Amino acid sequence: MPPALLSIRDLGKRFGGFHALKGVSLEVEHGEFIALLGPSGCGKTTLLRCIAGFLTPDSGDIRIGGDSVTRLPPHRRPLNTVFQNYALFPHMSVLDNIAYGPRRHGVPRGEAAERAAQALQLVGLEALGARYPRELSGGQQQRVALARAVVNRPKLLLLDEPLSALDMKLRKRMQIELKHLQEKLGIAFVFVTHDQEEAMSMADRIVVMNRGLIEQVGSGTAVYATPATRFVAEFIGEANFLPGAADGDGGLRLAFGTAAVPYSGPHPAPGPGTGAGGSRTGVLRPEHLELLDRADAPGFLTERGIVEDVINTGGQTLVMVRVGDALLASRRLGMPGAGLGRGTQVVVGFRPEHLHVVAGEPVP
Amino acid sequence: MTAALTGDPATVPAAAPPTALRRALPLLAAPVAFFVAFFAVPMVVVLSSSLMAGGAPSLANYARVLLDQYHWDVLAVTFRIAALTTLAVTLLGYPLAYYLVRVVSSNALRRGCVILLLLPLFTSNIVRSFGWMILLGRNGLVNDTLVGIGLLERPIRFLGTETGIVIGLVYILLPFIVLAVGNALATVDPTLEEASADLGSSPFTTFWTVTFPLCLPGLIAGVIMVFTLAASAYVTPALLSGGKITVFPMLIFQQYSTVFDVHYGGALSITLLVFTLVLVALAGRIGNGGGNRS
Repeated sequence: MPPALLSIRDLGKRFGGFHALKGVSLEVEHGEFIALLGPSGCGKTTLLRCIAGFLTPDSGDIRIGGDSVTRLPPHRRPLNTVFQNYALFPHMSVLDNIAYGPRRHGVPRGEAAERAAQALQLVGLEALGARYPRELSGGQQQRVALARAVVNRPKLLLLDEPLSALDMKLRKRMQIELKHLQEKLGIAFVFVTHDQEEAMSMADRIVVMNRGLIEQVGSGTAVYATPATRFVAEFIGEANFLPGAADGDGGLRLAFGTAAVPYSGPHPAPGPGTGAGGSRTGVLRPEHLELLDRADAPGFLTERGIVEDVINTGGQTLVMVRVGDALLASRRLGMPGAGLGRGTQVVVGFRPEHLHVVAGEPVP
Repeated sequence: MTAALTGDPATVPAAAPPTALRRALPLLAAPVAFFVAFFAVPMVVVLSSSLMAGGAPSLANYARVLLDQYHWDVLAVTFRIAALTTLAVTLLGYPLAYYLVRVVSSNALRRGCVILLLLPLFTSNIVRSFGWMILLGRNGLVNDTLVGIGLLERPIRFLGTETGIVIGLVYILLPFIVLAVGNALATVDPTLEEASADLGSSPFTTFWTVTFPLCLPGLIAGVIMVFTLAASAYVTPALLSGGKITVFPMLIFQQYSTVFDVHYGGALSITLLVFTLVLVALAGRIGNGGGNRS
């Protein structure tokens, strides 16, 4: 088997007393779209800057195509970067900005200009080659930054929150464009973002990071449906948490209202992550908690509750239901119906197969 | 446009500005008064007196300045010293500014270096130039050291040479270029340098294609400042020349303080001013010629 395009082994990095990366390992294959997702300070940007060569890791190894690049300066690494603030050269025209990379790699002036023009066409800005960066809108600068990177035909492109400075509409459009461009060029993307929706909609695999560690690597579906840790369950999408404890028979009992629901499905064994009490937590997505018309609906575990809030989120309705001590969220398509308001007595329920269990206690 | 066509230019444009102008006037008054009193009026006085000879308007003073080869020689010496000083200050100051802004990572150390650099500005030019007279003398510290470590066999003469004057001026003018370049360097976004490295540039290429062009405006500002200050310097050349070298400001000083010929002195002043401005404009033109940015 040929070596992975990018292979990261046990990367560690400290900034003074702050442990930014605590042993991160990751493999990226050719043509893959990887999103590094996590809250600020989770180490995703540090990881990206280590790959690009702007930071030297304290420990671990980075290989590209099997060759270690850990000690190589940035200009000797076979990859390119799209920066968060685009970092276009203000003293060069758009075309000169894009031709900069090819020129540094010894491409003759004429051919470099030709390739720059092609790259500009690729991002749909062929008419703006003579402009200067400050004469462009944010979205246009974004595309130029992209063209300046892909014109070098790298096998690996690093993107550091490239869409974060754009407004929402433009951002959504650029997400689709970026994804299409990535598929068309067959370049592997490593894309840093703190926006889970962005990661979900674009990436083949999502790397969820927290406090300098990788919590989970998986497809968008996998990290949403089967989060590996409580942090992932909490960070990706919304979730109801049902506190659970071992029942003594190798199964669990999860608190749902006044009931203690027995659960014998797959769940993590008690270990360091489960805390002293061996606690585990059931994760239930709001769309799986349904409002039912009867308490004995077949296939459902049900409880009675009282509506505390009805929130119309545009096309979807979020109903907050007080069940016992817990405030649970139920989401469904459509507008809030009549007769559903604060104080309404309702029956809520879910199918046990929609429950997913992670280690640790629920976050209050 | 409409107002101009209807033959009433006052109505439309005048509608909004008066209130804004009236509000701005008190704020503008002080700087305008200061500028008029201390820049415009003296300039007019010097210019008008230079155009008077024997109580009547005349260009005789300028004829006296420009038709005398001696003045051209002094002008050449003055600008040669100014140019050499500017060159030396740039070659010393640019790396120093780069070091302070980009290499020194401790804020305290950087602040300390800047204070050290500025501290001499708090003492008088005269004191500092006297200091150099002592250091550069035949038996001064500089000669003693150079002879002591065997670089020289006999002491060389600094005082009364252009080299001596240049050394004195470089010392006095160095902070100006360091501050100008340092400020410009500090505004260059380091991610631009990262982007350059990312696109395949060695640190050397990055410097010449990204960092240097981006702080060129600051460098040019510093160069112009240093050149004009060096060309118009009086105290340092006067003290370090040992009476053997004459620069243009010394001629002007003589006319005003010894001969009391304000007409001839004025013409000398205006001549130095015009030549300096022409050279500075040329430098500015060269600086902008690199990138014709709209």
